[in-house]
Amino acid sequence: MEEKEIRIGVFICHCGTNIGGSVDVPAVVEYAKHLPNVVHAERNLYTCADDGLTAIKNAIKQHKLNRVIVASCTPRTHEPLFRSTCEEAGLNKYLFEFVNIREHCSWVHMKDTEGATEKTKELVRMGVARATLLEPQEEMKIDVEQSAMVIGGGIAGITAAKTLANQGFDVYLVEKEAVLGGMLRNLYRLFPTGEDSLDSLQPSIAAVEGHEKIKVFSSCELKEVKGYIGNFDVTLLREGKEVNFKVGTIIVATGAMEFEPKGHYGYGKYDHVITQMQLEKLLKDGQLKKSDSVVMIQCVGAKGEEVSYCSRICCMVAIKNAMLIKEINPDADIHILHNDIQAYGAEYEELYNKAREMGIRFIKYTPESPPCVTMDGEKLKVEVYNELFGEQFMLGTDLVVLSTPLVQHQGGVEISKLLRVPLGKDKFFFEAHVKLRPVDFATDGIFLCGTAHGPAEVAESVSQALAAASGAGIPLSRGFVQIEAISVKVDLEACIGCGFCVEMCPYQALDMVDGKLEIIEALCKGCGTCVATCPTGALEQRHYQNNQIISQIKSIFHPVIE
Amino acid sequence: MVDDVLVIGGGVAGIQASIDLAGRGLKVYLVERFPSIGGKMAQLDKTFPTGDCSICILAPKMMECFSHENIDVLTHAEVKGVSGNAGDFRVKILKKPRYVDEEKCTGCGDCVSACPYINLPDEFDMALRSRGNIFIPFLQAVPRVVMVDREHCVKCGNCQVICDAGAIDLYQKPEEIEIHVGAIIVACGFDSFDPSGIKEYGYGRYKNVITALEYERLVCASGPTGGHLDRPSDKKTPNSIAFIQCVGSRDVNHNPYCSSVCCMHATKEAILAKEHYPSMENYIFYTDMRAFGKGFQEYVDRAKNEYEVRYIRSKPGEITEDKETKNPVIWYDDTVTRQVKRLEVGLVVLCTALVPSKGIKELADVLGVELDKNRFFKIADPLYAPLDSSREGILVCGYCQGPKDIPEAVTQAKGAAARAAEVLACLGA
Amino acid sequence: MSLENIVNETKAYYCLECGKCTGSCPISRVNKGYSPRLTVEKALLGFDKELLADGGIWSCMTCNLCKDRCPSNVDYTKFIRYARAEALKTGYTGNCTHGGVLSSLMRIMGNPNLKQDRLGWVSDNLKISEKGDILYFTGCLPYFETLFKDIGVNSLDIARSTVKILNRIGIKPVVMPDERCCGHDLFWTGDLENFEKIAKLNVGLIRGTGAKKVIFSCPECYRTFKQDYSEYVDMDFELVHISEFLAEKIDEGKIDFGSLEEDVTYQDPCRLGRHLGVYDPPRKVISSIQGIGLIEMEHSRERSICCGTSTWTNCDRFSEQIQKERLKEAKAAADTLITACPKCQIHLSCAMKSKTPIDEVKIKDFSVLVASAMGLGDDP
Repeated sequence: MEEKEIRIGVFICHCGTNIGGSVDVPAVVEYAKHLPNVVHAERNLYTCADDGLTAIKNAIKQHKLNRVIVASCTPRTHEPLFRSTCEEAGLNKYLFEFVNIREHCSWVHMKDTEGATEKTKELVRMGVARATLLEPQEEMKIDVEQSAMVIGGGIAGITAAKTLANQGFDVYLVEKEAVLGGMLRNLYRLFPTGEDSLDSLQPSIAAVEGHEKIKVFSSCELKEVKGYIGNFDVTLLREGKEVNFKVGTIIVATGAMEFEPKGHYGYGKYDHVITQMQLEKLLKDGQLKKSDSVVMIQCVGAKGEEVSYCSRICCMVAIKNAMLIKEINPDADIHILHNDIQAYGAEYEELYNKAREMGIRFIKYTPESPPCVTMDGEKLKVEVYNELFGEQFMLGTDLVVLSTPLVQHQGGVEISKLLRVPLGKDKFFFEAHVKLRPVDFATDGIFLCGTAHGPAEVAESVSQALAAASGAGIPLSRGFVQIEAISVKVDLEACIGCGFCVEMCPYQALDMVDGKLEIIEALCKGCGTCVATCPTGALEQRHYQNNQIISQIKSIFHPVIE
Repeated sequence: MVDDVLVIGGGVAGIQASIDLAGRGLKVYLVERFPSIGGKMAQLDKTFPTGDCSICILAPKMMECFSHENIDVLTHAEVKGVSGNAGDFRVKILKKPRYVDEEKCTGCGDCVSACPYINLPDEFDMALRSRGNIFIPFLQAVPRVVMVDREHCVKCGNCQVICDAGAIDLYQKPEEIEIHVGAIIVACGFDSFDPSGIKEYGYGRYKNVITALEYERLVCASGPTGGHLDRPSDKKTPNSIAFIQCVGSRDVNHNPYCSSVCCMHATKEAILAKEHYPSMENYIFYTDMRAFGKGFQEYVDRAKNEYEVRYIRSKPGEITEDKETKNPVIWYDDTVTRQVKRLEVGLVVLCTALVPSKGIKELADVLGVELDKNRFFKIADPLYAPLDSSREGILVCGYCQGPKDIPEAVTQAKGAAARAAEVLACLGA
Repeated sequence: MSLENIVNETKAYYCLECGKCTGSCPISRVNKGYSPRLTVEKALLGFDKELLADGGIWSCMTCNLCKDRCPSNVDYTKFIRYARAEALKTGYTGNCTHGGVLSSLMRIMGNPNLKQDRLGWVSDNLKISEKGDILYFTGCLPYFETLFKDIGVNSLDIARSTVKILNRIGIKPVVMPDERCCGHDLFWTGDLENFEKIAKLNVGLIRGTGAKKVIFSCPECYRTFKQDYSEYVDMDFELVHISEFLAEKIDEGKIDFGSLEEDVTYQDPCRLGRHLGVYDPPRKVISSIQGIGLIEMEHSRERSICCGTSTWTNCDRFSEQIQKERLKEAKAAADTLITACPKCQIHLSCAMKSKTPIDEVKIKDFSVLVASAMGLGDDP
């Protein structure tokens, strides 16, 4: 850092009466003027208003300021504004320091002007201590490869690939099976349109296969992915041979599989105890024998010890299939044994009612005393305690269909390791934020959609695929990503190669190569976890350097007035 | 052919769609009917199943959206006319007067305290607090600009005198703006069903029967009671709360559909009550417990086991009131024990249906798109085009096209942004 | 009708087993053995025999409280009516109170050759006609007078008051000497054969008078004509309840009330209120009387509670409990309870006379109140 006189300007905001009402602002200004390195201090009614911003710019020029402090509200809303004001006056924006005296002070000490004023002085003093040690920083711009990889060729992957390609980006669509289509290939007819599953999928498959911007790699395995947002190096294995390409972003659409209910309700023991997926296949192939009586059991393996979650779609799958059986054989007696029907939304509730209208009967069982399936001569016998009616029912039946949850498959687990993106407790891929970042990973440049994220029906998978394509398309259309200059630096002399930091990093920004730490700056979010972990102090974070923070803390206890 | 995009509705879906589009370098106009963006999510206390503070995670997005160089946020504005086709829509927007110069107002609030007429029900706080004739929509409003309620304003001029910025203009005129866009995304959200028509539950008749959205404001630290659960009748903390599901939803007399989020928000609200007051007893009356999203069933299990929330499978027949204590009394058929029971609680929260927002029909007419039979926007294909409306170039996302929770709305918003970009790219090609 | 058909006809298959019906039911609240939800579920799950043999189906007051509240729109009232008809065929019936005398009377009235003298109550000061535009249908009042005088209910006062009121506004109503019971109770206890005979007889008789408008003081007659006759016979005359008729006359300025300094409360009869949606006209008329204070009970209008029994069937200790609760609610509101239904008056008055007495509530008929407010009360 260039050795130069430090010249700090301090701007204290009244924020109308928000601060001015409980803090003696003129007194704080007087105090600030006497702090070390402060060459100018003033107060503004609203520092964020036009005249306030002009005052900052003028002061930078007039007083040759090389540090600016604004003591006002919150950086969440106002830091970008003040930073750009400094830039407009020719000052590097990392030489700006924000002190929050509203949320952190005036609002919480509204009735104590004296105390609030003293605290404001301390906060300003701390700001000055840090600002003195601030250094200018340059932000990194990374070029982005204008292409994306979509992993998984089910409906989610197909949709994501098609959307990105239609926006003009090259897409590599990777599928481990020989054909595209995923789970929908195995289904019979789809709700609510009643379309044949595969028929309805064909136009999308054709669009993807014939698209000039999409390269489909079927029967391919992902071997390795290196790099970071904008610059991922991908290696595939096709017929034992390696294929290499580079992409800017990645979408994970690896799907899920049906839970196999081994040991549940005579599955595997009795021929006529099958899963919904097996029923779909029988219906599809026209192989379902005439069944005068069918019993479906919900939540097999779900909402319990094996799988703790509700698999979302099984109730409607059961209802849809029950209705299809009714269409073939209107006299069929169908009972659905459930533990709460998940007919959420508008269309599902309507379908549920339609099923009742068609004579399909619903019996609520308790998880504490689940149904019992046995063989009674040639016929299956299902005993169930009807919780709401208070009686044990005995249902003789030709067919028992088990509704089982969707679960993660081995392929998904491997992709998670390969991309170093996390799985949740439910083993599905775990998004960056459950509420607001539902299709992003915490790792920049990688997105997820479809049943890889959790059980979902077709429209939900399609929506997620489009959302993932939006996320993946943003860096591609911009052509670059800009990284805030708060990443970590390493002093290789001090680094002993212990690797603790690599393990701790939540963003996979650190790597140990031949005993030496490598930092992938593009992935670093500046959280500082590694800095705190490092046993030798070899790591230092830009803009939040140890000396800056320590001097800030020290200044609380050592009031220095010139 | 232009590639600017209009987004209608500034809730979490509209905000997300705008941010995604702007991130691609497209110019976005975001039109919001209310004086601040944020939508219903801004009114919620915490969110399920993570317990994140709703406004805390939304506010940065509101700010990001508002301050984005590619996004033009028009609040207190309505879309009045649309002509043309995909790639080339001409849109008329009416910017209603807020009687304050948005450029000059700094949001200091001095005028708010100067207004002598503080007796109007505050909309954001569900009328649980009074506001003046000049007010900031809510603490974290974006833009943080005051607005005058001219309908009630007596033009005493106090606010004008105190405003140093000279921002108040009581004679501001409505303004009509015409914009030219290539695609439109509609994310106009939902409203809460008014349960006063369901006479047997006593909303409006009994003070201690409130709606879930009212409860969200009551329990919120930045709400009218500072997060103290003061029940309306005596401003005291109740000992027990009952949450009633499907009030006006799954009910053919009102709304036949399942509102999809109430089982979970009730669970969260019960957990919040228990967190605030460890001795609180919570009851949730439900028909089917719909905990179908990621981590939801586990959340319900935790509510049962760790927070001792009692789930009762029943739709109550009637709520009466104890005349002395003003405690609501619930009469219900406990369908599992098959006994008719009476339960006296301190507060009843009605988890009301969420319905298409007011004015959706007029908006649909202006846009020339169809609604479905529940008056949500109709989608082009329920399987493969879930975000396309019945008209090319107009996309629909979030609750306005059918019940869904926040992550699903955000997902759809991002998806709609991608579809808009795709439509524009295809038209341009 | 088979139970399967009953399920289809009443759309009971939409039942979500949510329990709102049972949670609403005034009987279930006092009689733990009775549950509309479980009754419907019996039909859905194929327990046909148990259902038809269940005395519970005769306890239902068909008050429509559950029907109006059912989120799936299951018409439980209709369900009960059909189930009773089916049970009757199978040989089951409810416990008829009053030794079956009232239902016997009704069946006798199905005979076209029956000769009655129904006009004995029409004293000289009452002006009636044989033919004319407006007809007053008295219903069972003459019989009730005989049967329930001992509990202090003079049902014919209702008829006399109604005629007096009509006379005062210049109407000489037709009152038929050979009018039949409307058949309401036969209809609701499953005897559709006799009901049909009565319906046809009554409509024929009314046609014979040339009446264009028929006024009822009994909500059961009114509902039966308005909703149930049309399945069997066409009608070309207008039907109106006395409260609706008077509310209209008040608007036309044709009624002068004197003053009555009294607080009253009003019992919505199920047939008039929930069945036909007539809530406002009786209130409007009562409130128009000078000096009167109309104070609502805790349960009023849509939420009103039935007077405890219907069709003279299965009137038991549970009915009495419901009635006493209702009277307590009335007492909390006012000392006088006005009802627009002669049966409410009888049932509630009966409960007042029970062994464990409760606070006195004066029970008055709507027409009687109006007549006395018009200064017509003291005439014989």
